[in-house]
Amino acid sequence: MFDVSRVQKELTECNRDKAISGVSIALYEGGSDLSHLRGTITGPVSTPYEGGTFLIDIQLPSGYPFEPPKMQFITKVWHPNISSQNGAICLDILKDQWSPALTLKTALVSLQALLSAPEPDDPQDAVVAKQYLQEYPTFVATARYWTEAFARTSVAIEEKVRRLVEMGFPEDLVKSTLDSVNGDENLALEKLCSS
Amino acid sequence: MSKRTLCKFFMHGACLKGDYCEFSHDWRDQANNICTFYQKGVCSYGSRCRYEHVKVSRIQSSGPSSSNSHPHVTSESHQVSHPPIVSLPRAYDPGLSTSVDVSTLSSAHGFPFTSAWTNNFDADTSFIDEIGSYPAYVTDADRPICSFAAAGNCPHGERCPHIHGDLCSICGKHCLHPFRPDEREDHIKMCQKNNKHLESLKFSQEIECSVCLDRVLSKSKPAERKFGLLSECDHPFCISCIRNWRSNSPSSGMDVNSALRACPMCRKLSYFVIPSVIWYSTKEEKQEIVESYKNKLKSIDCKYFDFGNGTCPFGSSCFYKHAYRDGRLEEVVLRHLDAEDGSTVIAKDIRFYIICSLSIHLVYHELYIALAD
Repeated sequence: MFDVSRVQKELTECNRDKAISGVSIALYEGGSDLSHLRGTITGPVSTPYEGGTFLIDIQLPSGYPFEPPKMQFITKVWHPNISSQNGAICLDILKDQWSPALTLKTALVSLQALLSAPEPDDPQDAVVAKQYLQEYPTFVATARYWTEAFARTSVAIEEKVRRLVEMGFPEDLVKSTLDSVNGDENLALEKLCSS
Repeated sequence: MSKRTLCKFFMHGACLKGDYCEFSHDWRDQANNICTFYQKGVCSYGSRCRYEHVKVSRIQSSGPSSSNSHPHVTSESHQVSHPPIVSLPRAYDPGLSTSVDVSTLSSAHGFPFTSAWTNNFDADTSFIDEIGSYPAYVTDADRPICSFAAAGNCPHGERCPHIHGDLCSICGKHCLHPFRPDEREDHIKMCQKNNKHLESLKFSQEIECSVCLDRVLSKSKPAERKFGLLSECDHPFCISCIRNWRSNSPSSGMDVNSALRACPMCRKLSYFVIPSVIWYSTKEEKQEIVESYKNKLKSIDCKYFDFGNGTCPFGSSCFYKHAYRDGRLEEVVLRHLDAEDGSTVIAKDIRFYIICSLSIHLVYHELYIALAD
């Protein structure tokens, strides 16, 4: 079993300054399993990922923090080091260069840095890397399009929350209900009305 | 004779007499484990007594027992079965006082000579028992320090037969002997050392392990309340975290040499971890911790070397003791030789003639260069 007290400390520490760092961690799907978390990072400014919010699935192995956490993008992203198919990440600190002094927060911040500084020479997705090296403008356009299409949902979620709150539902309840139906506004409204 | 009996107070780490104790402070000496109360026929502890209940024909301690700082308790054992032999001129000379055998001196109570304080004290008969075996001390330096006063309160106050020590400003106890400068110095030194240890312990309380994010000295398990110092850098970890990380199996995907042997914080490679209860604040303190750890290991026999029966994978750089059963230490047989292809080889079991032929070879080589010039 992994170090529960350390994970709890990390969660409070990370969420304390999420407005500044642009990364946050929550329990996966609002569950109670500390080994399955969901990280959120904002796309770095002046990159094709600006304005996007990217969700990352985090699974903690039993050896954590002596083994690296397993991280994978849930949000689809167009990046040479992230698989466009399944969101797998190629980053040395999540593999052989992991150190127990790294935390979930520092790992997420590293992912943010990876978004702003791709490494096409050590790719995870060969198609994207080839495009990055040979047709850079096309790469930027595609990446921006993917960000608009897949990573802006959370902005929409804020909007949905605002609308539902205006209907007279308490904000916390609206958020958790939206979470439980994966952000579908109509389903959330149905649920809120029936409860 | 009494010098060869181990001091009971010393055994418990609480002898206030130091070098002036009439009993031995050498662990190799035998302790007198015979119950003095049993000799008199009354030991209230009975079978639970920690001392031996055997009859001895004559009580060995003709001098005072080491517990005589409270003479009214043990004074019966002071009965002397032989006339005291004291060379008076020697005893009177204060300059020689340290070399005088205290056990003979203290049995000199029958002599007309009494020092000033015993005169004052004669009036208090409740303190001196009926046998009157209270030992007379010739010089102030011979008078033992009063342990009641050292602990804070002496019931006899001014009239106490023992000397009341001066206040030690560090530990706040009246335990500095006014007439034994060596002992004073030792005590102050010890106090300063203890004080320093306490200070660094206080400082260490706040230090957090960068892996478990807990304060190292506040970990739940007492065994984990220890730092693991890395030889090459100054990042604090608890011993269990850093050992756990370094013993991670390479199959987990982490590289042994670039990740596991490195400091989790700065990734500097360290080849060993030193356990320590305190965290250091200066380089010298770290050096001291490392040295004392290495010295401790050097006194423990290496389980791989196994008194010469096994082979130790660490060879001559092993921290543990490599000694044979007869106490002889292993000789270091490794020698580095420059091989012909320029690389360095380690020669095992090198013989003298090889060195000779090598040096001859070198001499020729130099001669050849000199001639060529």
